[in-house]
Amino acid sequence: MLLLLIACLLLPLFPLSMPFNALLGRLKRPGLRLAVVLITPQLGILVLNSAAQPIPEGFTTWALASAAFYAIRLLSVRDLAMWAGFLATSALALVWSFAAGGTAPVELHLIAFALSLPPALLMLLAGTLTRRFGAAYAGLHGGLARCLPKWSRLLILVVLAAIATPVFPGFFILLDLVFRADWPAASAILFVWLIWSWAGTRVLQGFVFEPCQRVEVRDVRPAAVAGYSILLTLFLIAGLGIAGGVL
Amino acid sequence: MPMVSALAIAALSARPGRQLARLSVFLSGATFALATLLLFAYLGTSSPTWLTTGLGWGSLYLDPLSIIMSLLVAGISLVVHVYSVRYMAEEPGYARFFALLDLMTAAILLLVAAGDFITLLIAWHLIGVLLYFLLAHNTQRPAAHRYAFWTFFTYRLGDLPLVLAAVLLYQTYDTIALPTLFERIAAAPNAPGVLGFSLLEVVALLIAVAAFARSAQFPFHTWLPYTMEGPTPVSALMHAGIVNAGGFLLNRFAPVFVEAGVVLHLVFAVGLITAVLGSVLMLTQNDIKKSLGYSTMGQMGFMFVELGVGAFSLAIYHLIAHGLFKGTMFLGAGGVIGDARKHDGVPHEDVYTLVVERKPVAARLPWMLAAAITVVVPFLLLGLSHWLVDSDFVGQQGAIVLLFFGWVTGAQLLFATHRLRVESPSRLMVLIILSLAIVVVGYTLIEHNFDLFMYPDRELSERLYAAASIPLATFGGLVTLVTIAIVVGWIAAYYTMANRDPLDGRTGNPRMALYSLFSREFYVADVYSRVSETVLALSKRFNIWSRWV
Repeated sequence: MLLLLIACLLLPLFPLSMPFNALLGRLKRPGLRLAVVLITPQLGILVLNSAAQPIPEGFTTWALASAAFYAIRLLSVRDLAMWAGFLATSALALVWSFAAGGTAPVELHLIAFALSLPPALLMLLAGTLTRRFGAAYAGLHGGLARCLPKWSRLLILVVLAAIATPVFPGFFILLDLVFRADWPAASAILFVWLIWSWAGTRVLQGFVFEPCQRVEVRDVRPAAVAGYSILLTLFLIAGLGIAGGVL
Repeated sequence: MPMVSALAIAALSARPGRQLARLSVFLSGATFALATLLLFAYLGTSSPTWLTTGLGWGSLYLDPLSIIMSLLVAGISLVVHVYSVRYMAEEPGYARFFALLDLMTAAILLLVAAGDFITLLIAWHLIGVLLYFLLAHNTQRPAAHRYAFWTFFTYRLGDLPLVLAAVLLYQTYDTIALPTLFERIAAAPNAPGVLGFSLLEVVALLIAVAAFARSAQFPFHTWLPYTMEGPTPVSALMHAGIVNAGGFLLNRFAPVFVEAGVVLHLVFAVGLITAVLGSVLMLTQNDIKKSLGYSTMGQMGFMFVELGVGAFSLAIYHLIAHGLFKGTMFLGAGGVIGDARKHDGVPHEDVYTLVVERKPVAARLPWMLAAAITVVVPFLLLGLSHWLVDSDFVGQQGAIVLLFFGWVTGAQLLFATHRLRVESPSRLMVLIILSLAIVVVGYTLIEHNFDLFMYPDRELSERLYAAASIPLATFGGLVTLVTIAIVVGWIAAYYTMANRDPLDGRTGNPRMALYSLFSREFYVADVYSRVSETVLALSKRFNIWSRWV
């Protein structure tokens, strides 16, 4: 049971998710945040596997409640890095449902990676904005589609990947989960998915849309754009690969 | 092909926008040509084709429904592309607009031709996302984004029941391939249900709710009139094509609805409410594009009424006709506004016509003769034409409802003609009756053949009508009640207009209250705003309680 609780810290479930998000808040370097978002859930799955015991039935309900709780909390978050952290917490809670369903460890690692990569990239994009404006708050400098078109394009793509839009891997992962679940659990997962979509559009509204403030800042460098683009393309192709194994 | 066009535009984004637009138009034309070829290929073989990728998803099902819808979508997309070349030329993000338009065309084509649930869900979901970006194309207009969000969220609400329906069907019939699924449903329609309800009724209800959200049915209609904030070509594409997805979806899952007559009754009721509300709201608008938006809502309601009475192929015929005329109206809306600025359109008084223009004073037919023509002519035309083409059809309850609506529309037309003051009222009436006869006979012949094309399996078509039927006594009572309501409404409207003092603009309190209700669009959007504010407040409260971690 202790190992399961440790797993709840690393593959965060509320309220044990609070240290995870507090740590992300403390870290100032985007690279470190990215590492935490990507590595922590992988450690959580290792601990879960080493526990070598079936996951108690109540954990699935707890995980769904935790995912829904963080999804609703996302709606009022304006700090992009915090938003990414909450989204990661909400998404990674769903891994518990896969684990309870008896998904193989390797698949669990891949699912956790696919769900944590978009929030991790959002951490990097938040860092880029913080370096230019001192903060990455939605609505602080709206209309970045005009001022920072490349950054805005990347933000749109990463947010779409994060809220499980087709044909990114998140879409197929959620679909897989819903197809395995009974209808009450499926309804709960779909509710979480709906709130992610709402939260995603709120973030886009705060950063990309609205009239431009005409601020003079340098956009993302072409090399960084190429890097993000290649990564997102690979991610998208991986999504199509996952889709083949959905059903 | 549209996907190739979108990728090419993204890859060649450094080139001048005009060149990219031409490329997009060319490939759009090629898509239309391919869709036409597909139709002729089907007419040659008359057998549906299921193309699979071997991955378990990504399959295409080329049956009459998907082929006719592909042709419609490709055609409207081509017109919108050509129109946008000049219309969008001054807008920022010109190439991006064409890339999004191509992606949207690709998504709609994928939707209508999807041969399995995964492909269908991908396309269904993507259309909502792409529409969001098309409507919010002008990133500097807060209103454009606000209404794009309304549309996106309503579409997402509609996505969820469709996913749940897919889950229930997959868990019961163990397949995602649509042709196999329909075969298994036909073989075992009485699968174990959910919460005491029949499984297929629950599935049909979920699919119907998804369709309601996509086709702006009450109470999911609030987004539709406000999408005018997007560029005009997008409005045209949406009102002519995207909003019809609900009608397509119900047709695609017709084998499910055969087993769910109760849900068809719900579809009829929702469609009727939407048609009435959409028409009422259309009449109270003073903005031509918003008025067209509510007109679309009314038309969509009417399309669902057709579905609700089991006339599935007629709904497709309706959505094609509506798509073509509504697309034309949207693309011509700018011209109408320009004309309205030059001519006020107010008819001259009799004295002016006689003295200044030296024309005879306008007249009307005697009211008794007009009333007789209004009531009898549409009845005879509709009844005889349908009876001659397919005498069995006239006996169906659904057919009676449709003929009834046809009679109301024809009578309205003739009544409106009678109200016109013209030089030669009898000549006008004869011409109108001739036009009506041509339209009705032409429509009846085309619709009959279209039905044979869409549903070559006549048994399925008849079972849909049978599923939509209700007990004969209830049906007779309802028809009588509606007839009385309509006739009393006509008489009341005529009496009010005839006795109205044109100089007295005062209206009583009940009418003002009713007008307020209409002008606030029945407060539906206000209720949604209040709910969303409550959820956002709850979100903030949760964050404060948990100290933002």
